[in-house]
Amino acid sequence: MFARLLGESFARNPRRKVLTAAALVIGMAVATATLTIALEVGDRLAREFRSLGANLLVTPESDTLPVEIGGVDYRPVDEGAYLNEADLGKLKTIFWRHNILGFTPFLDVPVYISETGGATTLIGTWYEHEVPVPDGTEFATGASVTHPWWKVQGRWFRDRADECVVGVSLAEKYPAVFALGNTIHAGQNEAAGSGRSLLVTGIVSTSDADDNAVLAPLAVAQAISGHPGKFRQLSVSALTKPADALAERGERAQTDKNIQLTPTEYDRWFCSPYISSIAFQIRTVLPGTDVHAIRRVAETEGRILTRVGTLLWIVTLAALGAAALAVAATSATTVLERRAEIGVMKALGATNALVGGIFLAEQVLLAIAGGAVGFFVGAGLARFLGESVFGTPAAPRLILFPVVLALAAIIAMIGSLVPLRRAAHFRPAVILRGE
Amino acid sequence: MATLVQVENLRKEFGNVRALDGVSFRVDAGEWIAIMGPSGSGKTTLINILGGLDTPTAGQAIVDGTDVARLDEAGLTRFRAEKIGFIFQQFHLVPYLTAVENVMLAQYFHSTTDEKEAQQALERVGLGDRIEHLPSQLSGGEQQRVAVARALINHPKLILADEPTGNLDEANEEIVLSLLRELHAEGHTILMVTHAPPIGRLADRRIEFAHGRLVRPAAALKPELA
Repeated sequence: MFARLLGESFARNPRRKVLTAAALVIGMAVATATLTIALEVGDRLAREFRSLGANLLVTPESDTLPVEIGGVDYRPVDEGAYLNEADLGKLKTIFWRHNILGFTPFLDVPVYISETGGATTLIGTWYEHEVPVPDGTEFATGASVTHPWWKVQGRWFRDRADECVVGVSLAEKYPAVFALGNTIHAGQNEAAGSGRSLLVTGIVSTSDADDNAVLAPLAVAQAISGHPGKFRQLSVSALTKPADALAERGERAQTDKNIQLTPTEYDRWFCSPYISSIAFQIRTVLPGTDVHAIRRVAETEGRILTRVGTLLWIVTLAALGAAALAVAATSATTVLERRAEIGVMKALGATNALVGGIFLAEQVLLAIAGGAVGFFVGAGLARFLGESVFGTPAAPRLILFPVVLALAAIIAMIGSLVPLRRAAHFRPAVILRGE
Repeated sequence: MATLVQVENLRKEFGNVRALDGVSFRVDAGEWIAIMGPSGSGKTTLINILGGLDTPTAGQAIVDGTDVARLDEAGLTRFRAEKIGFIFQQFHLVPYLTAVENVMLAQYFHSTTDEKEAQQALERVGLGDRIEHLPSQLSGGEQQRVAVARALINHPKLILADEPTGNLDEANEEIVLSLLRELHAEGHTILMVTHAPPIGRLADRRIEFAHGRLVRPAAALKPELA
């Protein structure tokens, strides 16, 4: 009998049902789209932010302060500490290894350029380099990943070749010396034969002090400085999530012994891609290093991610609220319209729960139908938004399907709450009198 | 005969209006009582209280040992489903359910549905060939007969009929009244509100109201016959 009552109830007034379903479809579509994007936005924005450059800087723990004059580090090459190039593959073994998008080692060497007769800095680095990983695979990385805004006129040097690119400012200062195709001689001192002859393959624009330097393969810088397999500084580009209270506590716990994380907190912190936990994991595989977050980048990313996330949640809640209001409006009209029927049922002994159950079941059925359609519309909307905003469509998340159906049912129930409370207070005697 | 309905000093107020003012009477099981009086005299209010559709302001209304005045909303709902059979002047059938489904609806609210029993109830009121008809496909008299079948289906202790023939033509009135006579003969207890003295005279006794009071003391009524 319940099914019969429900079926009849469902079939009546189809126009109103369509309106309610349409409100639910729109609400659920917006909710699905925003939830889909919310699930991806962190990852996508973090990847977008990586075009801003590295967000972690690794240096030797016991390094000396650089002595820079005019952008040239005048420390003797034997001074200070170095890191091992051979250890870099370990970065791809940490817990958050898949979040390590790239890393680039740097070795700055003060050199004498015979052709200019002056000193400058030669920066040894990788542009595109295959790093062997302990699991037997190779990882392609270098400045092309961590410094994507570096632009070169000509071409980049080949890894391990005796080639170089010259910073644009330096090239403008000595246009005849640093012309493309020229060969320059860079050594630690003026003595002939102490350095390397390098072919100028390009003029690079880095938009920073490196525009006054010569950039060459790391192996060349290591050979000139006499520190094979060593480097001084590492830039790491990692996907991270915005810092929260736990991230800050986790970071402070590394240096402040008064702050201790519980085992559960530690697990949560370690297993979240906070910049502090990734830095901690890098320190673990590269002992004797300092790993600093580049605050300016990390904090800006965090702020933007948090704001975008909040915005998406607000839009989701607004869509759900609007759907609930639409359900409430149609539900209230239905209850009022069927007041006489409710009165008769109650007079015959129907409980409030039973009468409410009929109306609620009708709304929930409608919500499930609307939610299902809304999910697929929302998945399409997310795909479109993903493509428009991030350049790649957001993949539909099937895990959201039951969530959206449940949300739709909850919205329908919330929307029906007030009308059903009113129905519960209907007095059959009053209704049967026709008042 | 055992007392089925006992009303003691019953009062019902709607704001400043006193619809029932100290009403007392008794009804024995198996009696057919006609409740009469002018409009606004409190007849329907009394029926509503006895049927658990309304609650009194003061006094007692005991039906089959249950004081309706003391029941909460859930108790009143159960009381209506189990002990009362209503026949309304306006029939009050659910428009989208067939005749048999309307009868089964009362079964459903009482316990479980039994379509065969519902069909038999309709056959008994002469509607065996109309069980699948919607109310809109039935005449007024037929609709009221469905309502009678619905009132009887749960074997209620008390049948409350509020102007059961008020909306019927003479022929249908006679059919419904003969059904009530049958029910009475079978031992059902019936309280029937009516304006019509000829119909009132069919009952065992008449209780007359005026301005919320009994016209004559209840004790003096019995065994009054028309």
